[in-house]
Amino acid sequence: MEKITSPYKWGMVIDLDRCTGCGACVVACQAENNVAICAKKEINEGRNMHWLRIERFWVGEYPDVRGRFLPVLCQHCHDAPCEPVCPVYASYHNPDGLNGQVYNRCVGTRYCGNNCPYAVRVFNFYDHEHAWPKPLDNQLSPDITVRSRGVMEKCTFCIQRIRRAKEEAKGEGRLIRDGEVQPACAQTCPSEALVFGNMADPASRAARLARSPRRFRLLEHLGTHPSVYYLKGGGREHV
Amino acid sequence: MKRRTFLQLSGMTAAGALLAGCQSKNEKLIPFLVPPNEGVTPGLATWYASACRFCPAGCGILVRVSEGRAKKVEGNPLHPVNKGKLCARGQAILQELYHPDRVAQPLKRTGARGSGDFQRISWSEGLALLTGQLTALQRDKAADRLALLTPQLRGTLSELTTAFMGAFGSPYHLSFDLLAPDWLRRANRLNFSQASLPFYDLAETRYLLSFGADFVEYHLSPVQYSNAFGRMRQERDTVRGHFTYCGGRMSLTAASADRWLPARPGSEGALALAMARLILAEGLYDRDALPAGGLGAEALLKGLAAYDLHRVAELSGLGEGQIAEVAREFAATRPALAMAGEAVAFQTNGPEAVRAVQMLNLLAGNLNRPGGVYPDAGSPDGPENSFHELISLVERMQAGRIGVALVQGDPLHSIPPATGFPQALAKVPFVVSFSSLLDDTALQADLILPDHAALESWGDMIPLAGTREGVIGLMQPVVTPLFDTRQFPDVLLAVAHGLGGALAAALPRHSYQDMVKGALQKRVGRERGEGFEATWVELLRQGGLFGTSDNRDRGRMKGYRRVPGVSLPEPAQPHFAGDKQDFPLHLQVYPSIALYDGRGAPFPWLQQLPDPMTTVVWDSWVEINPQTAASLGISQGDLVEVTSPQGALRLPAVIYPAIRPDMVAIPLGQGHHGMGRYATGRGANPLALLATNIEGKDPQPAWNATRVRLTRISAKGELVTAGNTQGSFRSELIEM
Repeated sequence: MEKITSPYKWGMVIDLDRCTGCGACVVACQAENNVAICAKKEINEGRNMHWLRIERFWVGEYPDVRGRFLPVLCQHCHDAPCEPVCPVYASYHNPDGLNGQVYNRCVGTRYCGNNCPYAVRVFNFYDHEHAWPKPLDNQLSPDITVRSRGVMEKCTFCIQRIRRAKEEAKGEGRLIRDGEVQPACAQTCPSEALVFGNMADPASRAARLARSPRRFRLLEHLGTHPSVYYLKGGGREHV
Repeated sequence: MKRRTFLQLSGMTAAGALLAGCQSKNEKLIPFLVPPNEGVTPGLATWYASACRFCPAGCGILVRVSEGRAKKVEGNPLHPVNKGKLCARGQAILQELYHPDRVAQPLKRTGARGSGDFQRISWSEGLALLTGQLTALQRDKAADRLALLTPQLRGTLSELTTAFMGAFGSPYHLSFDLLAPDWLRRANRLNFSQASLPFYDLAETRYLLSFGADFVEYHLSPVQYSNAFGRMRQERDTVRGHFTYCGGRMSLTAASADRWLPARPGSEGALALAMARLILAEGLYDRDALPAGGLGAEALLKGLAAYDLHRVAELSGLGEGQIAEVAREFAATRPALAMAGEAVAFQTNGPEAVRAVQMLNLLAGNLNRPGGVYPDAGSPDGPENSFHELISLVERMQAGRIGVALVQGDPLHSIPPATGFPQALAKVPFVVSFSSLLDDTALQADLILPDHAALESWGDMIPLAGTREGVIGLMQPVVTPLFDTRQFPDVLLAVAHGLGGALAAALPRHSYQDMVKGALQKRVGRERGEGFEATWVELLRQGGLFGTSDNRDRGRMKGYRRVPGVSLPEPAQPHFAGDKQDFPLHLQVYPSIALYDGRGAPFPWLQQLPDPMTTVVWDSWVEINPQTAASLGISQGDLVEVTSPQGALRLPAVIYPAIRPDMVAIPLGQGHHGMGRYATGRGANPLALLATNIEGKDPQPAWNATRVRLTRISAKGELVTAGNTQGSFRSELIEM
């Protein structure tokens, strides 16, 4: 069988020196991807549905204390621990380097969530039908499904946007230009901390930033080869 | 009917959507990308440019509309303020449009005030009720018994309300916002004899010194300044701007700082002057700036003699070396920038402390320079003392001299009860609310004439302090109104024409949309007819008039220049309500990044957004230093009673390592009695704790000058945090 290749390797760079932890990305992601609204009780049970969260760390003690933020989304690993454990191939790797999730294949074993070291997969423990009482359901995006109970879901790098951009580019007989497609989080980020792009194109902004000496990847020692690069916050000379 | 209009109309939900009386037929919708004559392909989205009115920053937005329903809000890349970026609150305005508890048609109160018993009435009946009340005032020659309460308005809406109140004959238009930058205008009036707001050139500065200015969360123009902050850090090849934050609580903004100076509340002004003195004494000031400001270094040094390092270090609780180091860094790095914010301004010595911080900018020669401070183009004038207008209106209401109050917004939630506002409003015989949700004020109203959601509204939005260019953002409806609601200004116009006479003459146009269009036409200065029609379409398509400050504006936009002979700032010892023995802790209230001053509370996306610093969801809380908490036997999540001389509240405790041990902090935004299912009865409103008469003085807006004590009640605070208190990774594990 012929190997499917792609001119794209989608990736993201998150500059922690720019990130202020404001949370705009979290809401943008929820708005774009029909992520369910979770009640206080569900979050208390650890069943929050956010695909993107901002981890907050306290380092040090008063008065030499520092708060640090780390936006964590699916790292789209090239050696993803979630993929081989899925019994029904719902979790798969696509030719663009995206770690995909086929909702209608998922039977809810939660092996993938269990195996993910970044804890970015969220499971529909509840039927979230009630999350959008009328007319709030009008805001649901027609591009993606509303996931039902018993299904695992996760960040897709806004695959619906990538698909659309690909179709448009194909219609014009070209490749997607750098910056033409952005996931909702990167598009809204006020301080431009999140940069999305094609890592296979060495000239793309994301690929250039990913070569920065400040780069690191989350839990790199696990050998998961994430597509998300972080840039260390610089100049922390005072604490 | 065009096919698109048809689809938009048929896209309405069943419930009450196609009621007669939808005000706008939307034939003027101008999409951002798709030419207007193209039909709608199901599944293919159209983008409409509009403006966000959630906070005064006035960012430009693009709304994705698919099959007649708004789906997603993005920043407008053409808009000079937010450049395509948007904050969490801006993302959530979709939920204002589709909120399940919106008031669908006018309501008349049937039960007691606050009971929530209303009867649905028609618009003609609602307008007749209001017109009847106003006619009665006119008949009794008591026009000044009408009061209008709004947030601070700008642009055409401000002109309309001014004309309305002027022609009716009542001077009582109160434009009050809890967070309004009146204090900054007043300081600029005193120092530079112009009341414009500053535009800080953050992106180009090399050293940022913020005194309680939380520009990431809410200060002036948060998206603009967050963006500039990112550029200050990493946009320049060899320069990384340094950031020092000074304030007793580490805010979200402060968490991004390189250095945090937890100064004692109320000492920030003295601290700024101590730095100024050191800069003068060591000759590090800008040689040209002082003579330009009419100052001599010697005289200035003498004037600041009281602020010696030793005394101020004691006052602020910081180390002498620390203060000196920051002062030297600030003076030695050019350009450097000092900002003063709400945490400083809302102290009893706030007005002077803000001027003290501006002194640093003067010394470093930052006025009207790249990387420094410029006057903002958008709003050269504005209210400078709305708090005192509030107090005098409250007195008038108390005395029974206000007969009809028209209220836009939710002042019952956002005005501290210590001002006497709730009791005063109860004395007004006829209260009209324009809220689109049954908020605290609407629950007390006699008549509710529901406003459109922002995404159904027309309007112009002049951004506050976010740009040096003249910008007018345009709001256009992106969907056909969902319910039988009308825009607030259109209701005023309808009332004016119903009353006739001078009012109708002062407001000749019949629709607000025409007024906005007229204002733009006047601004663009084209002749009536085809010429402007094309321009108007273009303006709507791109989302407003950007970057065209004409000559008239430039003339008005003088740079900052210190008024010769103005007195030196003298931040006195701060005063606090509550004596130190009974109330040992300083209380700071701050706007939550998600809920702002409470406007964000009805939107579930914002309720669910974990607070960045504490990761708390769906609640409010009190932040306590670990030492203080330990001494009081309080642990994370305990239910705690916070008592001030003004009242008491019960809140869950959050152990917060980055706050002074003698301080506690509570976010604003929760504690609504109404405002729909997502906000009602959630958390507590800390404004109930605040005093306004501090140490027997006249009322003043010193929201951070109240002292409190804590008592542990139980272990059941029902606190829910989205994150583990330390995060799910150890930071050293991920090599951050």
